[in-house]
Amino acid sequence: MATEYWRWPESRWTSPEIDWKAGRIVTAGIDVGSVSSQAVVMVDGALFCYGSLRTGSNSPESAQRAMDFALAETGLVLADIHYIVGTGYGRVNISFAQRALTEIACHARGANFMYGPTVKTILDMGGQDCKAIRCDAKGKVTNFLMNDKCAAGTGRGMEVFADLLSVPIADMGRMSFEVEAEPEPVSSTCVVFAKSEAVGLLRKGWPKEKVLAAYSSAMAHRVVELLQRIQVEEDFAVTGGIAKNEGVVKRIEKELKIKALEPKFDTQIAGALGGALFAKALVEKDRGLR
Amino acid sequence: MMDSFKEWYEGRHQYAREWKKRTGKKVLGYFCTYVPEEILIAADVLPVRILGSHEPQDVTEPHIFGMFCPFCRDCLAQGLQGRYEYLDGIMISQSCLHIRQAYTSWKLHVPVEFSYYLPMPHHLQSRRALPYLTGELEAFKKAVEEWTGTTITEEGLNRGIEVMNRSRRLTRALYELRRRPDPPVTGLESMRVVAASQMVDKREYNEALQETIDRLPERAGRDGSRVRLMMLGSENDDVAFVGMVESLGAIFVIDDHCTGSRYFWNEVLTDRKPMESIAARYVDRVPCPTKDWPERKRIEHIRQLAKDWNVQGAIVVQQKFCDPHEIDIPAIIKALKQDGVPAQVLEIDVTVPVGQFKTRIEAFLEILKQEDLF
Repeated sequence: MATEYWRWPESRWTSPEIDWKAGRIVTAGIDVGSVSSQAVVMVDGALFCYGSLRTGSNSPESAQRAMDFALAETGLVLADIHYIVGTGYGRVNISFAQRALTEIACHARGANFMYGPTVKTILDMGGQDCKAIRCDAKGKVTNFLMNDKCAAGTGRGMEVFADLLSVPIADMGRMSFEVEAEPEPVSSTCVVFAKSEAVGLLRKGWPKEKVLAAYSSAMAHRVVELLQRIQVEEDFAVTGGIAKNEGVVKRIEKELKIKALEPKFDTQIAGALGGALFAKALVEKDRGLR
Repeated sequence: MMDSFKEWYEGRHQYAREWKKRTGKKVLGYFCTYVPEEILIAADVLPVRILGSHEPQDVTEPHIFGMFCPFCRDCLAQGLQGRYEYLDGIMISQSCLHIRQAYTSWKLHVPVEFSYYLPMPHHLQSRRALPYLTGELEAFKKAVEEWTGTTITEEGLNRGIEVMNRSRRLTRALYELRRRPDPPVTGLESMRVVAASQMVDKREYNEALQETIDRLPERAGRDGSRVRLMMLGSENDDVAFVGMVESLGAIFVIDDHCTGSRYFWNEVLTDRKPMESIAARYVDRVPCPTKDWPERKRIEHIRQLAKDWNVQGAIVVQQKFCDPHEIDIPAIIKALKQDGVPAQVLEIDVTVPVGQFKTRIEAFLEILKQEDLF
């Protein structure tokens, strides 16, 4: 089988410190995105465990797999969870979620938890779209912009380039800086056009590092336009899969002249995390605690 | 009780064919709401607005630029596909280059016995606009007389004015009902009413609407409160989109676009000679952005509507490549923001990406609903 360069590492994590049995409120968020799915479980508002994997062709099944993956070896089962919020493209197809909320609200809420209340602007670089979100100190969305129906500047575009250049996706960011001088960005961020442009550049003898640099800066420029339209207020944070690609993030920072906050969590779980936090608020409301 | 408007909207072609058979009179298709229907009614012609069908098509590519708006391509497609085969005439009043291209291409490829280009002036804020348009309307009247073999009398014009004004008053009365905290009609229903008014004999429409308005106040209220939205844009009769938004706990209560309030908002004031009165109505009506300069009058109008209809949020529906509308968006958003009305802009094509738009609308409603999730 050919090497799948685009394949990013699926991951799971459990907190070694939390005894879920002692918890009063157990909630979960499930983010079924176009490319990846995450499940996050929180106990009394603290991160207990999560799982992140690739979305399959069937969103209810992807939700179930993400949940099973997150819960594996924790001893916790679905029935122990008091409230589940679904989010992401597949949010309406998650049979075991009690409520669906948009990934825009969930990413803002999740970023507020991950980066703290100083975050005012969030860039979510997802698998198939990009969102520039402004929020308040509670993580409530005040405004947002989304790119138009196109994979340019998204995870899917990066996957296509990983395969084209035969570079493992996790190495792309680092590799894009291994150039003597920053080349001109590719002229189109449309994945289809950018790919054919890149093929032309390779044929011209460009090393793949240089092609990657040209693509990464084009991608960064595209999302910077989105951010400028919504006007960035600091602190600024990036969520989603592309947040892990320093080649894109550093170029965004350079163009914006603003540093993004350092992530302390897996940036792909922001949406599911926000869902789990909303789930907690909904349980508290139900129980008359708020 | 809103069924007849839905039937008219969905069965527009069948209606026109039957009308023609029943009356033996001529039907004219028009491309822009600056067309003075009063004069056509005076000559017993049925004016029907040419609208798209919101379906993908592949017939306009050789005839119209790809970077012209989806609406003008969708309209032309209807002609090329033979869906308006019953038309005896077509006309346009100058509004924008894109829709004019649809008209000229239609004229070339789908010949009809009468076609007319009405040079509606752009600079309506000039005091010379009114005498100019009055003269153009006189010339248009002559052309219609020659085509139909009738004489358009002053009484005829007054009749045209009366029919049109009644239609405008009634449609506005329907919109007034939407000011209520619990509007008895949805945005989708209202949109079909306005679109139907552009397709059927106004006299028939007026009777049906009068009857509806008499009964509407008793119509049972809806469950729960809904987020009150305003829709702004150019032409927008995308009922699938409106239905989607209203299925998410929102209701459109007011609009400014030309398959909405902009079409009927102003009446003809009968304080001058009929032709000059008609011209004055089209000079003074709520303007289309192509004619709304150097002063932007439409923005104050939009702010007033938002206030009077107690709007919580605005959705700006931008036809892709429609520059006159797009250029106004920052100014509109800024003005509404000052009044505490957030806006969300969506760029639409012949068909819309429903999934992605749904996410955006839901997120926008989450902002507006102020639900306590924190």
